[in-house]
Order: sequence, then C-alpha cells, then structure tokens
Amino acid sequence: MKKHALLAAFALLVAGPALAQMPQDAIYMPKKTICAALMLGKSDWNWYWENTLKRENYNLGRHTTQSASLMAAVGLTDRVNLIVNLPYVSTSTSAGNLMGQKGFQDLSGWLKINAVRYKGLSLHTIVGASIPVSDYVPSFLPMSIGMGAKTVSGRLLANYKHSPTGLYVTAHGTYTWRGKVKLDQDAYQFDGKIYNTNQVAVPNATDAAVRLGILKRTFQTEVFAERFSCVSGDNIRRNDMPFLTNNMQATTVGWYGKYQPHNVGFNARASYVTDGLNMGQSTSFMLGFLYQFNL
Amino acid sequence: MKNLHKLLIASTLSLTFLACDKTIDEPQRVGYTPASVDEKAGAWKTYVLTAPTDATLAAPSSTSSAEYTAELTDLKSRSANLSLDQQEAVVFWGAGAVYRWNEIARELAARYNVPPASNADGKYPVPDAANPTADPKFPFANPPYTARALAYLSVAQYDALVSAWSYKYKYKRVAPSKVDATVRVALPVSALPAYPSEDAVVAAASATILKAMFPGEVAFIDAKVAEHRNSRLWAGMNVESDLAAGVALGSQVGAKVMGRAKTDGMSAANNQTVTAGMIEAAKARGQTEVWTSQEIPVRPPMLPNYGAALNWNFDAATKVKLRPGVAPLPGSDQFNKELAELQSMQKNQTREQARIANYWSDGPGSYTPPGHWHRAAANTAHEAKFSEVRMARTLALLGTAVHDAGICCWETKFFYYTPRPQQYGIKTSIGLPNFPSYTSGHSTFSAAAATVLGYVFPDKADAFMAQAKEASESRVYGMIHFRSDCETGLVCGKNIASYAVARGQADGSGL
Repeated sequence: MKKHALLAAFALLVAGPALAQMPQDAIYMPKKTICAALMLGKSDWNWYWENTLKRENYNLGRHTTQSASLMAAVGLTDRVNLIVNLPYVSTSTSAGNLMGQKGFQDLSGWLKINAVRYKGLSLHTIVGASIPVSDYVPSFLPMSIGMGAKTVSGRLLANYKHSPTGLYVTAHGTYTWRGKVKLDQDAYQFDGKIYNTNQVAVPNATDAAVRLGILKRTFQTEVFAERFSCVSGDNIRRNDMPFLTNNMQATTVGWYGKYQPHNVGFNARASYVTDGLNMGQSTSFMLGFLYQFNL
Repeated sequence: MKNLHKLLIASTLSLTFLACDKTIDEPQRVGYTPASVDEKAGAWKTYVLTAPTDATLAAPSSTSSAEYTAELTDLKSRSANLSLDQQEAVVFWGAGAVYRWNEIARELAARYNVPPASNADGKYPVPDAANPTADPKFPFANPPYTARALAYLSVAQYDALVSAWSYKYKYKRVAPSKVDATVRVALPVSALPAYPSEDAVVAAASATILKAMFPGEVAFIDAKVAEHRNSRLWAGMNVESDLAAGVALGSQVGAKVMGRAKTDGMSAANNQTVTAGMIEAAKARGQTEVWTSQEIPVRPPMLPNYGAALNWNFDAATKVKLRPGVAPLPGSDQFNKELAELQSMQKNQTREQARIANYWSDGPGSYTPPGHWHRAAANTAHEAKFSEVRMARTLALLGTAVHDAGICCWETKFFYYTPRPQQYGIKTSIGLPNFPSYTSGHSTFSAAAATVLGYVFPDKADAFMAQAKEASESRVYGMIHFRSDCETGLVCGKNIASYAVARGQADGSGL
C-alpha cells in the first residue's frame, strides 16, 4: 500500500500550487494587487516504490488524490509578496477496501522577497510555513490526506530573463523543517525499533528544481524538473504500509502554463514522477482559475 | 504594512522553532528495590517444570573462598570506571530483566509482523523457518504467532525464576556488595541472594525461546544477552559465577519449555487442507454465506488450524465448552441491524471513533494486540515494583491466558467461518485481517488480558476492563467486525481467562 498522500502534500505544498505567481517563480504582484485562484488537482498512481522495489498493489489498484485549493497572492510591495494557500483533499482507490479520507489539509503561507535585481538576473529569498487546519489522521497512509506536521521552509531562487524574447530560466533549492506529529496510536516502529510514544519526528526534506520557459504579458509556458528528497528516514518494509518516518524521494518532470490576458485567466500544470523512493509514481494534473484585483 | 511584515517574520521564526522541536518524549524506565523479594517463590507452581529442581545447579563456592575473592577483585575492576555506553547499559537493564526481555520480544514481533507479498504466480509463499531472512521472512509474527511467542517467553522466564529462587534460598550466597562493602554498585541491592543471578537466568531462558521463535535474529539476541550479562558486572551486582550459574539454569529451563512448544500443535496451525471441511461443516450447520478472503489475489486464511493447538490452562474438551453459540446469520434481522450500523458508520464515522479504532488497531508492523497487553502488564507491574519472579508470574498468567484466548478464538472463527463486513460493501479505516469474522480476536485477547490484570491488580480491574471494552468496540469503529463479533468475543475472553485466574489463585503464591 502506498503513500500518495505524500505526493499530494508534495505537489500542493513543496512544489507549491501553480499560480499567477507562485512560491517557485520570479513573478510579483504589484503593490496592493491580489490574485486569487481556485485550483483543482488530480493525481494518480498505480505503481509505487516500496523501498527501492517498484511495484503495483492489487489491493489498492489505482490510487487517486483530488484537491481543490484556494490561493491568494498579495502584493505587499512591488518586491514583497505574500502567498497563502488552503487545499481540500480527498483520497480514494480503485480496488481493495481501504476507506478514502477527505478534509481540509494544511494552510500554507509564503513570503517572497526580491532581494537582488541586476539586468535580467534576480535573486529571491522565500520563506514558507504550513500548519494542518483539520484533525485528519496522518498515519493511515496511503489514504491520509497529509502528513500532519507543521513545516517551515527556506528557499533561494535565482532567475534570468531575456526581456526581448521573454525566455527565462529559474533554479531554486529549498530546505523544509518538518515537526513532530502526534499519532492516535501510542507506539510505532521506526527503522526496526519500537518507540513507545505517540510522537513521531517526520524527516526534514529538501527540494530543488530547474525551470525553462517563456513569460510574456498575457501568458507563460514552462517545462520543469523537480527533485524532492527527505534528508533522513527509513524505508517501507517489504509488503508493509508506508509511514510518516519514511525517506520519501521523487523526481518529477512537467509543464506549467498560464494565460491571463486581463483580470481573469487560468493556469494549468501537468507532471509525472520519473523516479522515486517510498512514494507513488504519480501523474498529476491541475487546472486553476485566476482573478486579479486591486485593493 | 510594516507591522504586518514584522508579524510575519516573527510568526515564521516561532513556527521554525515549533517545527524544529523534534524531541521525542518516550517514557524511560529505571530500576527499583522490589516491594517484596518474594523469598518463598521457589515453591510456587511452575508451568512446564514438574519441580524447581528439574533444572540442576551445583552449589557455589563460599564467599570466603579464594576463588570467590578473586571474582570479587575482578568485579571491582570491571565496575570501577564505566564509559557512557556502559552506564547506559546498566540503567537500561537495571529497569528489570523480565521487563526488558518482554520489550525486546515485542519489538521482534513488530519487525516480523508483515504478511508475505504475493509472487508473480499470484501465490503467497509460506515463510520458511529454515531460511528465516529470505523473502518472505520467517516468521510472519501475526497476532496468533505473537500470542504464542510471548506466552512461551513468559512461561520460560517464570519457571526459570521459580527454579532460581529455590536455589537462591537453598544456597543463600549474598550479593557481592554485601560481602565486600567496597564493591561499587550502580543499582538498588535487595536482600535477595545473588546465586544464581536472576538476570542471567532470565537472559538465557529468554534467548532460548526467542531464538527458536525468531531464528533470523540469533546475532541480535546474542548481542542483547552479552550486554545484559556485562551490565551486571559493570553495575557491581553479580560476580562471574553468579552469572555463569544463571546461564546454565536459564538455558536448561528454556530448553524444557521449548520441548512443550515443539509438540503443542503449532506446526500444523497453517494446515490449509482442513479449510474445505471446515466450510462444509459450517454450511451444514446453516451458515449459508461464509468467509472468503477479500485480498487480491485471494490469500489463504491466517493459521486456520491454530484453534487445534494445545491450551495452557484447560483441556480440549473445555475448549469446546468455551466456544460461543452461533453468530447472527446473514439475512436475519439481527445481522441486518448490525450491518446497518456499519453502513451508517462508514458515512458518519466521528474523529473520536477513528481515534479509538487507530489506537487499538495494532496491525501489520506493530507488536499486535497480545503485545499491546503484555506492554500494559509489564508497565503496571513495574510501577507496582514487582520482584523479577512476580513480574514473570504476572506475564505468564497474562501470556498463557492471551494465548489460550487466541487458540479458542481461532477455533471459533474457523468453526463458524462467518463473513466479514467487507463482503457486504463496507470499507475500513484501519485495514482488514484475512480470516473469518466471528468472534473478534481483539475482543477475546483484550477481555482475557483485562481479566487476568484485574485479578493481579484489583484496584485497576475496572480500568482494565474498560480498556478491553474500548479495544473490542474499536473493531466496530474500524468497520471490520459486526457488533456481535465483539460483544461475544469479550464474554469468551473473560471466560477463558477465568482458568488462568484460578491457576494463579492456586499456585502457592498466596496472591
């Protein structure tokens, strides 16, 4: 059985939702401008990595995570933006008898600061945090809707844009601290040892990505490669369920696009996991509706 | 706007600290002077030994002998300057020999509690004791397996300690620090004679059982034995000859107890050829809809013949008498009512119901419900400052009752062969075990455990029974059992454990 909730959490929080401007781009809302977005996401996998073994599970069939997120990007100044996001997530499988879970997941916020601008080059520091907003069960993986941990992230992002053509390249790296989770159970196994407590330390994680695209006044199109990796953790035991302590890793490639001629627009994202560890090999799609207004 | 920035930065920083605090608060157990050393325990009734002297032990050298004096000198040098690791080992093992070996057994059970994966042919390979570390690992330490492993562990510890107590008070060789006050001790010293070392007795008896139950863990177990043994030297608690005598005695008793294990019927527990006859018999008794595996590919049921195994506290005829009446038949009003309860729960399960279902789930990767109750028993006995032998008696009473509960429950499950709620479209929030529904294993295990613990700790009897009831009901909340499975299982568990309680009342302990 596997963990796709994780991927859902990853797609929604770490990689961040794709927006008019997002925690992983160099785009800023002007001061006193807000872009609100409603984004619908769907992510599926049949195959997953149990430790390094790539396998199917006939008792899960196809695992699906669906989400609907409300997001807002606020121009605090022309060079400082605040982005907040709240997803509602549901999980299901096409086979077996595990009950799907659903609920509001984790509220996340990102503060994005354009620290340096020199000709086409810009550097950005981005700090983020997330906190679960409902009392969902984090340990019923892969059906859980999230990991249940508070997180704090620090990200550095560099962007070069060739203004005449709109061509750009973006690279960023992130470290995410993830906190303790309280289980309903009062014992669990981690790396072959029993811990006689309800407290689980969720491994910290890093991510890195490279993006190449074109940004024009009304549209954006981009291809990307992302790498998500826990910095520690154990592996899923042979034929066992995933757990919060697992060292989850994934390499994802995909496309992102946005079209926003005026106040109203839409964006879309498609991605595919090419390689992983203790995670599902998911294919994900997102479609968002954007609405920009002034304060 | 500036204030907003400050607020954001401040809240981000404080969240950083919250997220970074990853200290896991795990309760730590330390040693104590027992409330009573139970000096008469050498006369308590044993399970497998017919008398404490079934295992032999030579008289020790006198504390005034040159040999003993040399041992004392050696002990003083070993306990003089301890490294941090050595100090940690002293504290760890000082919490109690029986306590720690029970904990180790639970950890082994958890590590091995994963069902085999199906292979490319759609079959489930059977774990092979002769090749325990191959995939699938041997054993699959499911609840019946773990109930039995923990029962044998506890019985071996208990019988070995009763024998040890009889020799301790026969030979009356006192603790090294009472012979020579300059021996540095790191743990509380009671009035208990030191020969043979109760720690070495428990380590050797436990290792004998656990190596047989978890044959892929011999190196791990040997390392634990060595550390345990050394910790007694580092702590200044035993001389070498105390420890050597303990190993000799514990190993003898462990081997005798394993003698019973080899002939208790467990080797035939996974005999899948009996299921066709069981299904036919159940149908002949009116069970029109029977259990079928809900796994893909279909998995043979877990240990269908486990119910034929030998019980500890009663005979086979009593086992039949302990079997409950038939479950509500599919289609009956009662069955439909109980199915409707689960259908409603599937739509409206509360967070509290989910919490209870999760708390008691003890599924794959855990030490199972028998492990859960052994943990509760060991912790309660530790808090009551039980001597090693009384701790072992508590766990043996509990362990045998829980093993009996497993055997009786499995006998009932495969006698009636009743379907699971999942055969009627119900999903589960905890995962579905692969064997018939009636009666609930959790309910039977838990009521048996709570009944024994209520006898040993009368002031906590109501609390334990309330926990058993919650454990039982958790299977309805998790939607893998009908209410009748659970309520009947609770009653059966109490009845089954009454035999263990009766034994305890008559074992010569006066407890």
